[in-house]
Amino acid sequence: MNEYVGWAFKIAGVILFLLLPPYLDGIARRVKARLQYRRGPPLSQTWYDLKKLFAIPSVIPTKSAVFRIAPYLALASAITAALLLPYGGYVPINYGYNLIVFFYVIVMVSVFIMLGGFSVQSAFSHLGSAREMQLLLTVEPILAVVYGVLAYNAGSLNIATIFNNLHLTPSLILAIIILAYALYVESGFVPFDIAEAEQEVIGGPLSEYSGRLLGVFYYAIYIKRFALLWFFVSLITYPVMRPINDVITSVGLFIVQILLTIAFYPIIAALEATNARLRIDHVVKVNVKIFFIGLGILAMAFMGW
Amino acid sequence: MVTTKDLEAHFEFECKACENGRCAKADVETILSEREGLKEFYEAFKEHIRECKRMTYGQYMFVIDREVLPDAVLWWHNHPEFKETHMSTAVGTDERPLNGHFVYMPFLSVQVEHRNMDRNYWVFLKAYLPADDPSFPSVAAKLPAALWIEREVKDLLGFNPVGHPDPRRLILPEDWPDGVYPLRKDMDYRHSPITEPKTEYRPTPEGTSLVPLGPVHMGVEEPAHFRLFVKGETIVDVDYRGFYSHRGIEKTGEGRLTYNQVLFLAERICGICGYQHSVSYAMAVERLADVEIPDRARYIRTLMLELERIHNHLLWVGIAAHMVGFDTGFMHAWRIREPVMWLVERLTGNRKQYGMNIVGGVRRDILDYRKEEILKVVKEIREGTKKFLDIALNTNTFIKRAEGVGILPYKVAKAYSVLGPTARASGRRIDARLDQATKTAMAYNEVDFKVPVYKEGDVLARVLVRMDELFESLWIVEQLIDQMPGGDIMVPIGDLPEYEEALGFTEAHRGEVVHYVMTGEKNKVYRWKVRAPTYNNLPAIPEMLRGYHVADAPLIIASIDPCYSCTERVQFVDVETGKVKVLTEAEFNELSIKYKGVF
Repeated sequence: MNEYVGWAFKIAGVILFLLLPPYLDGIARRVKARLQYRRGPPLSQTWYDLKKLFAIPSVIPTKSAVFRIAPYLALASAITAALLLPYGGYVPINYGYNLIVFFYVIVMVSVFIMLGGFSVQSAFSHLGSAREMQLLLTVEPILAVVYGVLAYNAGSLNIATIFNNLHLTPSLILAIIILAYALYVESGFVPFDIAEAEQEVIGGPLSEYSGRLLGVFYYAIYIKRFALLWFFVSLITYPVMRPINDVITSVGLFIVQILLTIAFYPIIAALEATNARLRIDHVVKVNVKIFFIGLGILAMAFMGW
Repeated sequence: MVTTKDLEAHFEFECKACENGRCAKADVETILSEREGLKEFYEAFKEHIRECKRMTYGQYMFVIDREVLPDAVLWWHNHPEFKETHMSTAVGTDERPLNGHFVYMPFLSVQVEHRNMDRNYWVFLKAYLPADDPSFPSVAAKLPAALWIEREVKDLLGFNPVGHPDPRRLILPEDWPDGVYPLRKDMDYRHSPITEPKTEYRPTPEGTSLVPLGPVHMGVEEPAHFRLFVKGETIVDVDYRGFYSHRGIEKTGEGRLTYNQVLFLAERICGICGYQHSVSYAMAVERLADVEIPDRARYIRTLMLELERIHNHLLWVGIAAHMVGFDTGFMHAWRIREPVMWLVERLTGNRKQYGMNIVGGVRRDILDYRKEEILKVVKEIREGTKKFLDIALNTNTFIKRAEGVGILPYKVAKAYSVLGPTARASGRRIDARLDQATKTAMAYNEVDFKVPVYKEGDVLARVLVRMDELFESLWIVEQLIDQMPGGDIMVPIGDLPEYEEALGFTEAHRGEVVHYVMTGEKNKVYRWKVRAPTYNNLPAIPEMLRGYHVADAPLIIASIDPCYSCTERVQFVDVETGKVKVLTEAEFNELSIKYKGVF
């Protein structure tokens, strides 16, 4: 019986992370439009966009196979990342050290975007990819440190186990705050959409992409953003709703996860709408500072605070 | 209150058409004593001055030998007392049908006293060049302000600026054959030869890579090609190739239109500052014809000019926000701007290209009951803009991107003769509305306003200068409505004197717009030269970009409010395929029927 319930949750999770991300983007677009006194597009507009992109053949400006494969690999990485997260207490793919895998596949999405950008002969692509790299190299250490705090706090490297065994300490609260920042940067929302900056490098690594391949990249990015947000949401819901040991608590948790994810998007959209894009050197400076703060928090965690 | 009648109270206009348009009769001594500095110049260059005359109120011309051109220009430009004097631009004219010579004529705006239009004046330094050897020593070698104009006369008239540091093609397309000069009088305006395209880009400096910003780029609204040489993300040097939207408007205006038709062409030079061009042109012709236009017309013109400035500044600040990804600022700035567009549509019948002007006045009166509407819109805009600024200037990320970026020091600004808000953000105290005698065509002398000046010279200063100006413009509009005199709105001009020259100018949103007009026979225009402010501001862009980030480039470029179509003022030539497509009227009509509703 319990096995069937588990499968039901896992399948529900898969359907959720495949279908919901573009709607979340739709919510963000709508909220931004309202802040700008516009009506805004329908919630499914991002899906319509993707549908259209998927139907259009891509222009291939290079012989490099990387250019063609990169979007699919990025999508695969994003989906893998989403599969490692718990949906209502059940993780579609669950094994020992999956926090490390999660960290790694999320990075891979950006890496494939960068590789795609570097595979073509275009100054904008290269500039954008170089920026993506700088972002990645400065934000990933922060994430690694925060994951370290979480793992040390819960004594595990398994995502679900971590969520179930967190102790409320000052270092955890600080880690969550920094995590929120790092995930926001990693997701590439304004003011951190530096790599894709339309007006400056016309889409950066994506500037040579069109049609289906572009659609796949977008889809991968939406799923990645969803996975990061879902990770964050789970991190704050689990400790509150523990213990999760029967169907009712699982359903409750799942619903809270979904609602919180949806609730976070308008906040993100509002932040996006009220900010200008930063420059890469600004972000690098801030990230380095935060990294050292992160190290301090890690030390705190070791001290048991 | 000063009226136009006072204008000529002290000075009598000299005879206009005597001796084939040249007033050699005028007494040199009286002319030279009219304004400070003239005599001094005369003493300094006595041996080289062939003739001096007053073209019209506040515009003086010296015919000098071509050898002393650079010295003469620099004498004025570096005059220790007239600090804000700048080389406005130059005109090249093919006067071979008249006297067998070419003419090259730089002119400067001499500022004796800030905001005193009766003491400041324009100086034209005319040099005749022999028809077989149209060369002159380059001013640009010493003064960067002349860089473009000398390349322009080289392209369009085949002059040879000896010693020019960068004699590449500026205006003509890549596939235009060498040795064909469109602005010479022996060339028909329909003639459009082409050869193989050849590009003259500057080589990429060693150790840098090229980032092409354009010809079509998100961050540049019109076709323009900035070639950024970058190291990592830092800009080392910049090459510019523009003039992709050169339409040959000057040639069209000279060849086939009457003076009143040119006016409507002038309005179509630019999609934003059209009225400024139209007023400048009208002013030049009115000065030539020596007519006084009714006060009401002057007021209506000023009102429209200021409304144009208001909506342009809002448009610009929106674009600046968009360039740094602050789209909320963009949307709100344009939302605030829209009522002005509706208002001018009510007043003139058009959102843009008002068609409101005519030589000698305006075509439509402003009905009294519309005044309230104008005041209502002004109030709305003031409140809206205040709120907008509150939000925009409190957005940290926006300030972070604009502050300390694209700095243009005062000295560089002056050397390049940068104009308008860009110059005022670098500490130059110039504003053509008050610095030169605009009172014949506009009513700026009868209203009170401040000219904001900032010293920082960065993008943020340019934002602030424009926003301060916007509030001043709102205040000007209110005063104009309050003081609007009654009476006629236009006077007929009649026939124009032949071969007379004069300058018309306004302070557009981007800086001083200058229209030089020389009349020909039968009420036609012999030479019409348009200089939009962006023409002076764009060459300074490389100076602003050097050392900053690629990410800042679109914002810095946008910060001068560049208007390429103004600057570039010919036939539709496709550079890629090299095909010239000229549509006959029948074909054109066919196409427009076929694609009805598509475009």
